[in-house]
Amino acid sequence: MKLLIIDDSVFSQRMVASLIKKHLENAEFYFAKDGEEGFLQYKSIKPDYTFVDLLMPTISGGELIKMIREYDSNAKIIVVSADVQKSVKDEISDYGIVAFLNKPFNDERAKYICNMMRDDSNAR
Amino acid sequence: MLDKISREDVLKELFNISVGKSASILSEIINKKILLNVPNVKIIDLKDKETSLEAYLPEVIDGTLMISSISFKEKLTGKANLIFPADKMRKFINLCINESSMDNKNDMNFTDIDFDIIKEVGNIILNSLIGEIGNYLDIKLQYTVPEVKIFHKKDLKNDIKNTEYTNVLMLYITFNIDGSEIFGAIIINLTLNSLNEILSKIDILKENFYV
Repeated sequence: MKLLIIDDSVFSQRMVASLIKKHLENAEFYFAKDGEEGFLQYKSIKPDYTFVDLLMPTISGGELIKMIREYDSNAKIIVVSADVQKSVKDEISDYGIVAFLNKPFNDERAKYICNMMRDDSNAR
Repeated sequence: MLDKISREDVLKELFNISVGKSASILSEIINKKILLNVPNVKIIDLKDKETSLEAYLPEVIDGTLMISSISFKEKLTGKANLIFPADKMRKFINLCINESSMDNKNDMNFTDIDFDIIKEVGNIILNSLIGEIGNYLDIKLQYTVPEVKIFHKKDLKNDIKNTEYTNVLMLYITFNIDGSEIFGAIIINLTLNSLNEILSKIDILKENFYV
């Protein structure tokens, strides 16, 4: 399963990847440090799931999600953000994302999202 | 008869709740129990020429400081800064990356990875702190990308005062991580309009207390 993690913090990129690796055996990771690089990576990799931070330089996470969904309406996007505002969660959820998770990405959240990705992959 | 509730009481309690949530988040990141004191909140007017911002910082916050910040706009305009003595940050960074060696706990040669960690942790804590208050007072905020920098306490005044912000909300916090105390402060710079917006929302909350 190809997973693209787009976050300007290398610390958060690695935290997400290491926790997912613990719960999902066949994960193959790709990383991008901002929205612009993330979109280029998306087009070249065509990941099964894309993890997107919201607050990033160049292109914000919100803009990036819109661009990815215009490019691929079936894109499966998981937001991992420090933003705890209800209004932001509601707005971003309207973009048709799979899940909105608050940072820090912990073991419980990793397990939840890995089970969901595994079930989805088995159902296909 | 109930005592009259001041705006500062409400503000202190709001920050108390959101700092508690931030501590819980921090505890998840470093996998250690964190004890926090109840923050004191002060509203400082920067237009007052007699105001010395450093005087409001506890003496324990001295020397070289590490500051993690995010700016916000939309209904409120300001900048939130999380401030800690830089010499305490090595232990904290080591905890974040699960590095147990404490031999270099006062090492102040920070790498790009160290800055990345402090920037991200500051981002998570400040988002939690400001975002929860925004949720509670029903005020929407739009953030800019976080930043981290190091400078001396004596330069803090220039950095904080050389802006369009007229007021400061100062919070003192003490993190007790694994038996060692780290004294810090949160300085939130605000425009006068933004401070008034917060205070007016607090007044609405207070009115509801008496219903």
